[in-house]
Amino acid sequence: MDDRSFVAAQDFLLASKTFWTKRLYPEIRQTYEDAAEKAASKPQDPADVAALLDGDTLYRYFSWLERHLQRFKYAGRYGLVPYHDERRAELSASLRNTSAELAPDLEMPNYYQRVDIHQHPGGVWSDELDGYVYERGARSTTPLMGAAHADLHHRFTELVASRGEPENILDMGCGFGKSTHPFCRKFPAAQVEAIDLSGPCVSLGAHNAGEAPNVRFRQMNAYDTDYDDNSFDLVTSTMVIHELPPTEMKQFFAEAARVLAPGGRMAHLDFYAIDGPFARFIHYGHGRRNNEPFMEPLAEMDMQASLAELGFTNIEVIPFQEAEGLSLTSHDAWRFPWTVIYAEKAVD
Amino acid sequence: MRISDTLIEDRPEQTFFEDPALDRAFGVVMALATEVYVQRNRMRALERQLEVAGVIENGDLDREPSDEERLAEAEDRDAFVEGLMINLLGKQQAKGAS
Ligand SMILES: C[S@@+](CC[C@H](N)C(=O)[O-])C[C@H]1O[C@@H](n2cnc3c(N)ncnc32)[C@H](O)[C@@H]1O
Repeated sequence: MDDRSFVAAQDFLLASKTFWTKRLYPEIRQTYEDAAEKAASKPQDPADVAALLDGDTLYRYFSWLERHLQRFKYAGRYGLVPYHDERRAELSASLRNTSAELAPDLEMPNYYQRVDIHQHPGGVWSDELDGYVYERGARSTTPLMGAAHADLHHRFTELVASRGEPENILDMGCGFGKSTHPFCRKFPAAQVEAIDLSGPCVSLGAHNAGEAPNVRFRQMNAYDTDYDDNSFDLVTSTMVIHELPPTEMKQFFAEAARVLAPGGRMAHLDFYAIDGPFARFIHYGHGRRNNEPFMEPLAEMDMQASLAELGFTNIEVIPFQEAEGLSLTSHDAWRFPWTVIYAEKAVD
Repeated sequence: MRISDTLIEDRPEQTFFEDPALDRAFGVVMALATEVYVQRNRMRALERQLEVAGVIENGDLDREPSDEERLAEAEDRDAFVEGLMINLLGKQQAKGAS
């Protein structure tokens, strides 16, 4: 497929998703509010919302489009996967001399293999070009932000920086380094370790990092690392914890606690603070339709209690604005419930 | 690769409509809409360039093509049809909940 056709098709899909975001979503919200007003009792949880929207035609189209626009984006005739596959020779050559530390024998966890995350066929790890596929796909995950998607990581880095200057940073689940690079630039004197299960992703991360002297990309399981106890004063992750099942998520936080020095901080950008049953219903539906099955257990988890149990203090759940000027409470358009989970390892 | 390479045999696609036929049919509609937009985008770009170069004037593209020209398009036509029809199979292309 030629580049113009690919871009035209992807632009069409993104424009359709934008219509979905700005026009269909507020309609569904209105339908729900009208029904909730007439209901015998106030909806309390996502199941009550589901009962009210059950059978609504527009909601059916809303759901269909959420699932299938994503399918087309990755696996359609003009999808990311066939597009990159046709450019395999050149792209794979670019990764051949990667400085990333690969671990070909690393065992991929069951949850990682069982579901192809966000409908990326084969997941972000099973094909050498998956880093490239994911990188290109990430340009259009949040239609409202468009080119400003970089804003998200930048703003997160700024938030972390406003609370101190780290020297040793671990980015867990770094992907192709979109979350890592802002930290490397913001803290040029720090050593940054970037780890991810996906070999293709860390390879691309190292490729993109070029000659940056203060970062190392390594293929490693974030909840089972080879770092010594107390090695970092900052552990971060971006859009990773919602990919983990409850048991692995717990191990992930425990591993963060282990490798952090006493008084060290951890900051995770993910989806957690969700206001009201309608927002929950929409978010859980998103997880199901987008092949992200652990959105719901994450959102239902008692963060304060779980982190306190692992020895964290000053635990904060901070609703997060992904771009300048967006309202956290407006219902004009669909948005992710971005949240920063922030805590410190207790000094005992 | 062909798009059918990503079909997963044991994962029926999620359905949202009362009749799953509509789920599949709407996939065909959206695939077609994508194709229409791709063509439209290309045609507009082409016509702009040809006009700027003074190669075409209004009406040049409207005449019926030769049989030879139609045969030469067969492979492209088959790929077009696959992108359209694969929706009817109702299979996931990325493993997830059904
Ligand atoms: C949505 S991506 C986010 C990547 C990156 N942090 C960013 O913001 O662009 C989630 C990443 O988590 C990785 N991941 C999932 N489970 C993991 C685990 N147990 N250990 C390390 N990485 C993991 C995936 O391979 C994927 O690259």
